Amino acid sequence: MKYGLTVLLALLTNILCAQEFKIGSQVADLHVQDLDGKPVAFSTLRGPVTVLMFLSTQCPVSNGYNQRMIALFNEYSPKSVKFVFLNANQNESPAEVASHAKRVGFPFPVYKDANNVVADRFGAQVTPEALVIDQSGVVQYHGAIDDSQNEARIRTRGLRMALDAVLAGKPVEVSQTKAFGCTIKRVRKNT
Amino acid sequence: MKRILPVLFAIPCLSASLATVDESGFQKLIAAHKGKVVLYDFWATWCDSCRAELPPLVQLANKLRPQGFELVTISADEPEQAADARKVLKQIAFTGPAYRKQAVNDENFINSIDKSWSGALPALFLYDKAGHKVRSYIGETDIKALEAAVRKLL
Repeated sequence: MKYGLTVLLALLTNILCAQEFKIGSQVADLHVQDLDGKPVAFSTLRGPVTVLMFLSTQCPVSNGYNQRMIALFNEYSPKSVKFVFLNANQNESPAEVASHAKRVGFPFPVYKDANNVVADRFGAQVTPEALVIDQSGVVQYHGAIDDSQNEARIRTRGLRMALDAVLAGKPVEVSQTKAFGCTIKRVRKNT
Repeated sequence: MKRILPVLFAIPCLSASLATVDESGFQKLIAAHKGKVVLYDFWATWCDSCRAELPPLVQLANKLRPQGFELVTISADEPEQAADARKVLKQIAFTGPAYRKQAVNDENFINSIDKSWSGALPALFLYDKAGHKVRSYIGETDIKALEAAVRKLL
């Protein structure tokens, strides 16, 4: 009986924790937290087109993309793209996220994803990792910002290509790429 | 002498910098290691969990090598980080085969190993003596469970 219950709980946990919003999925409302711990509805942060970006304060790969994130924000914000920068690492406190954002000079707020609920629902694995949600609230892109840490070796800019396609009302040719970086430090769940 | 030199350079543990491996190179590695149980460890200098995992993996390799086990490390670092990767391996006294991933197409490389792998590190892939992938370990791995899986294949 005890074993059966454990198996059932594990199965339920797996189902509940499984990636929900895949390419083509309609995104339901979610909540993130501001750096004071207050819940913020994702719907209030979204724009006609939204970029959801998972980032880290400590990951060298994510930090290697700080300036690229700022450049993307500056370039696409005037084109009706809203950015939601989200820290889902449970080992990076809101205070650390705030001081990191100040130190780097991010011109945008960074939110926390308590218990990595949002990361789980989108199936985000690493930092940096980006998603594009279109005007209808459908996930159109999931993956890397581009294909090289070293800007001189970039061959494909997956996020930009997806954004440009969505803004032009065209289908996204490559909707999924392999994001590379540090794994999101998730809260340990009892299974 | 002319014949010996290329052989020496082909041995990754003797080279000054890490030898690179691409998609086809990885398949050649698998073929070359047939007859051994092999654990391919994809890691990077910037990955804390990977660096933490390396010493117990090296211990495991040292313990089980006489029984036909091999640990092959493949760094996912950029070329300019190769020297640092080499330093990390030297610090933990790893003397086995060590490479740096330099894929022609990273997506294809990752998919060719495991389609469900996002590319996140650390990632371990266990191959049996016939060169078939038996198991993938993505993220931090329980070394005891890994050792049990290796022993079953030896």
